[in-house]
Parts: sequence; structure tokens; C-alpha cells
Amino acid sequence: MTTRSIELTVNGTVCRAEVEPRTALADFLRDDLLLTGTHLGCEHGVCGACTVNIDGVPARSCITYAVLCDKAHVTTIEGFDGDEVVGRLRQAFSEEHGLQCGFCTPGMIATARDIVLRLPEADDARVRLELSGNLCRCTGYSGIVRAIRRVLDERKLAGQPAVNARTRLGPAGSGHAGASLGRERVGAGAAPAPAEAALPAPSQGSVAALPGDKLSGDAKPSVAVRHSFVVPERRDRVWAFFENVEDVVACMPGASLTEATPDGRLSGQMSVRLGPISATFLGNAEIARDPARYSGTIRGHGRDRTSGSGSTGEIRYALVDEGERTRVDIDVTASLTGTLAQFGRLGLVNDLVRRLTDAFSANLQARLRPGEPGGAAGEALAQPARLDLASMLLAVIGARLRLIANRLRGR
Amino acid sequence: MKPAAFDYVRPDRLEDAADLLAEDGVGTKIVSGAQSLGPMLNLRLVRPGRLLDVTAIPALRTVEDAGDAVVIGACITHADIEDGRVPDAWGGMLRQLASGIAYRAVRNRGTVGGSLCHADPAADWLSILTALGAEARLYSRRGRRTVALESFVLGAFETALAADEILEAVRIPKLSGRARWGYSKSCRKAGEFAHAIGVVVDDPETGRCRAVIGATETPPILVADARGLLSGDGTVQADWVLRLLGEAGMQDPFEQQIHLVALERAGAQARL
Repeated sequence: MTTRSIELTVNGTVCRAEVEPRTALADFLRDDLLLTGTHLGCEHGVCGACTVNIDGVPARSCITYAVLCDKAHVTTIEGFDGDEVVGRLRQAFSEEHGLQCGFCTPGMIATARDIVLRLPEADDARVRLELSGNLCRCTGYSGIVRAIRRVLDERKLAGQPAVNARTRLGPAGSGHAGASLGRERVGAGAAPAPAEAALPAPSQGSVAALPGDKLSGDAKPSVAVRHSFVVPERRDRVWAFFENVEDVVACMPGASLTEATPDGRLSGQMSVRLGPISATFLGNAEIARDPARYSGTIRGHGRDRTSGSGSTGEIRYALVDEGERTRVDIDVTASLTGTLAQFGRLGLVNDLVRRLTDAFSANLQARLRPGEPGGAAGEALAQPARLDLASMLLAVIGARLRLIANRLRGR
Repeated sequence: MKPAAFDYVRPDRLEDAADLLAEDGVGTKIVSGAQSLGPMLNLRLVRPGRLLDVTAIPALRTVEDAGDAVVIGACITHADIEDGRVPDAWGGMLRQLASGIAYRAVRNRGTVGGSLCHADPAADWLSILTALGAEARLYSRRGRRTVALESFVLGAFETALAADEILEAVRIPKLSGRARWGYSKSCRKAGEFAHAIGVVVDDPETGRCRAVIGATETPPILVADARGLLSGDGTVQADWVLRLLGEAGMQDPFEQQIHLVALERAGAQARL
């Protein structure tokens, strides 16, 4: 394990410690220094409970790692005991019902202190705006706003001016310590192993029957995409193509099959990449075919071990006879649970599913092109191991440019 | 909610940072304020082998007046701009808009460079600085290059940065005293990521009139010459906007409407 020596001045006391780089400042304060007044709520920078002062200004201690703050000054709620402004805020919060359960209060006080000092002219609307980064689920904020109002008014009456503690440029807490190239601390002089290397190897058992993953279609669909295209081939030939699971799976970018049984059960994996996020869903699926109606349903569920996200999806396909041609209707519904969904930017995930469906449908069309030697299955498609959104976007842009060029040429 | 283990390096020279990136064999991710990367690390959505902290490099924490533009280091924070520690050359535009990014506790650490490299389409700076015609200055062992911001972002979370490149600084053209601007973002809660962004910047002195539609799932949509897009009274050519949104793949009528309204509001502000 790689550790780093850091030095922090916490509530006026110099502390030296060895920390893992991944240790959040909040965890260092709570677990190593036992300063448990700093609360951890969401741990991704949204709730504000962990707000402490770093170099005199409020910052999130849950998404700021201790090692980033080497040689910085940190003040937690415990360090505000003798602070004149916090003394007044404490009194006002108590008298104006500015807290009930108290969980948000340490972060709320750090933010309130900043408002009172930095924005002496703030009206109630501005106070509420400034409090938007600190969630309170008890008070409805009215008492908190009144408490801050009271201290603002007291300071105004006393003619106390605005104070901004920050003079340096750059992130608060950063830039105090010099270079740390860390080679001296790496265990046995070996190069540090990538984080994944420490994890146990994936096993098939880890993907089977996980709670929350449902094979039935009753999960709430978070995204639904429909595609239709026409293939200049008779329906029987297109249907024959859909009988071959390997060929259908090969049309999905990033997907690969590890097992397919004759009764229509599949195991496999699917890799997707969205900027810095990459996920590999391991999962199972089953296919139900209805030859009488020329339709079928593929239901699957998967789990990405690294992000702890689950995904449930259903692809329905139906072939509509149009004489010498066949129309292929594809409906994709998918839902996502776990951290990828919690990340809160489902629009981007939905967009990803849409683009995957686009690519799936385009590959199907390419494979179903008539006149290929040995039938539709004969052609091997280029199969990217990972879906690269940038190259996909460029491909889309390229296609659009070609369309525009064609239009200009009057085609 | 704790990140997977990673290693950590903090060079104090740009050259050393570039060397570390060029010889990377462990999966290195650059970090400055960690306000976007931190949540992704904690959620284990991102699992780098090593973080490369660039905040100890003095050059990245400087601001330089370059005549018709201001060059700000990649590690300048939103609060640095909000508080005026970066000299205001935009008639208060950037100060005011910086104060609307996330929350004060985040602005005290979050950096302009980090926000641009993270390339979240819903982030404020991406749209604002694209409208201003800013350029990204990239550094690597192979040398320096400059990329216009509209070419810097390739897609959601995807930039033109090569694996061995660092964003060193951003060159932001100044606005003249006669410049007009408008900015509108649609949020359900103050401080959250925008659902739609509209920016209009019109500077008669330089003849630049640019409009940006942001918070799409694509790079910001730039109208480099927006004079025809905006009428004299500030109304926006809706057909034109809807065509642009359609070309960017936005089909949902609700999404189209909120983006159109964001641009209309920005246009109205710029013409008031």
C-alpha cells in the first residue's frame, strides 16, 4: 500500500500523518483525529454536511482528499469554539430554531459564517441562494435564514465590514507544499499496481440472480428507443439470420458472448465507455422466439462490478412482410440501477443507449445486405472491444457532412 | 462511497508533469480541485491508477494580461474569478456568471481548467468561454499547441487532449465597454447542473456576435456569426435554433423548447 506523509494545521494544531492518497479529508479528520463534528452525508459533494474551512474559506471535505491539502490550514466545527462570529451564529441558530436533528449543522455553520463575513449586504433571497449547497431536511430553512439574518443585521448595525479571507489564486488548500513525486514511498520500489489489480478475478457466480436485477420486464424503463428499417430481402431469410444468436450479438458494439445454450439462454458481457467512465456489464439473457409472428424478445440483466451498477434491458424485434422486402422493427427498453444511475446524469446514459441502439441497428442492416457470399452471416464486422464515444461521434458527424456535401451537389 | 486505491504524484514543474504523463504506465488522471473528479472517484465510476496533482505548478496559478485577451492558468478557481482576484476584462460578465456555478464551497476549489477538461456538456464555463471565443493552450513534451474551445470538446466528457497533454492555460478575449451579453441557464435547483444553457455575446467594437446553446448531450452548439439569429428587439429566429438542435440529434420537443427558451432569454438580456 502506498502512503504519503502530510502535514496539516487543524484547529491551530500541527498534525503530521501517513495517509493513503484516497483518504478524504473528512475521513482523516473523523477517523484519524477523532474530530467527529464534521459529518458525512452524501460523500459526493451535494449535501454540504462535510463543509469545513480550508485556508479560511468553506470547502467540501468529502471530495477533497487529505493529500491534496498538504500544509494547509483546516478549521472544523470543533475549532470554531472561540470564533466570535460563530459564537453569535450558535446563539441565533438556537433561538431561531435553526436546527432540529443537527446533522447538517456543522456544515451549515461553516457556510453561514462565510455568508455573514463575505456578503454583509445579502438579503434573504441571497442567503437562501448561498445555502443551496447545504441540505437541511428538518427546518425548511426558515429558522436558518432568520438566524443568519439576525447576525447579518447585528454586524451591519455595528458597522463591521465585509471580510474575504482568500488572497491566493488556485484551489483553497492546494499549492502550499512542494513537489512530491512519491517514488520513495512505493512498496519495495515496485511500480504501483493499477487499482483493479487488487480485486478478485470476476467469477460467473457474481452475476447470477442479484437482488434488484429482474429478468421479467417489470423494471421501470428509464429509456426506450424504437428503430425501424427495411431490408431488401425476403422475410424467411431475415428470420433465419435472427435465429443465429452469435451474429445478432456481434451487431452490438462492445458485446461478446461467452455461452449460448440451445434453449435460448445466453451469458456474456458488454463494455461501454463514457468519457472517464468505463463499465463492463457481465450478465445473462434469454431469448423467446415466436416463429408464427416472426417476432422475438431478448431479455437480459447485467451487473458492472466496478461501479456496482445493475442494468436490465429488453430488445423486442418483429419482422413485417413487405413482399420482396422486410421491415425490421426494434424496440429497446433499458433501466439502470446503482452508482451509474445515482450519478444523476441519466440523460447522458440514455443518450448512450440511444447511440448503442443506432449502432446495433446499423450493423444489423449491414449484415442483412443482400448478395453477401455465404448468406448474411458470412461477413465479419469490425468489432471494437470497447465503444469509443468520440470516434462514434466523429462517425456521426462525418455522415452528416457527407449528407450536406451531397445536398450541395444537388443529389 | 470510498474511492479505490490510487497512487499520487505532485510535480512542481510543468515539464515534470509532462514527463510523468508521457511515461505513464499506470493510468494517470490529472487532478486540480477534484470537485468533479472527486464524486466520480468516490462513486468508483473512475478508477485511475494514479492522480497527478497539478496545483503545485506555479505557472498554472497565474493570470497574465495579453493586451486584447487575458490568459488564465488552468488552476484558477471559479471563486478567483467571482471575487475579482482575476482582473475583470469582461464588464463584470465572468464575475457574475462565476458566482452562479455550483456552490461557494465548490467554487473555492473547483478550477476553470478542470471544468473544461472534464467536458461535461452541462458545465457553465464550456458554454460561456466558447461564446467568448476562448482558446485552450495545451502542453506536452512534444511542444505547445492552441485549440479553439469549440474544437477542444469533441463530445460529452471527450476532449481533444492527447494522453500526454496538459491544459496549461485558457486565453479569453476581452470585451469592449460597448459589448452586450446575456446568459440563461435552466435549473430546477440553484447550483445543480444546467438542463439548458443559452449565451449571447455581442461586441460591436470587435464585430463579434456569437451565440451558444449549451447543456445538450453534445459539445456546445456555437453560432459564430449570430447577427442574423437575433433581431433588433432581442427575439431569436426560432426556426434556425430548432434546425440547429435537430442537427445535433435533439428530437425531444421538451428538450428543444427549454433550450430555445434559454437562448431567447439570453438574447433578450443582451438587447435590453
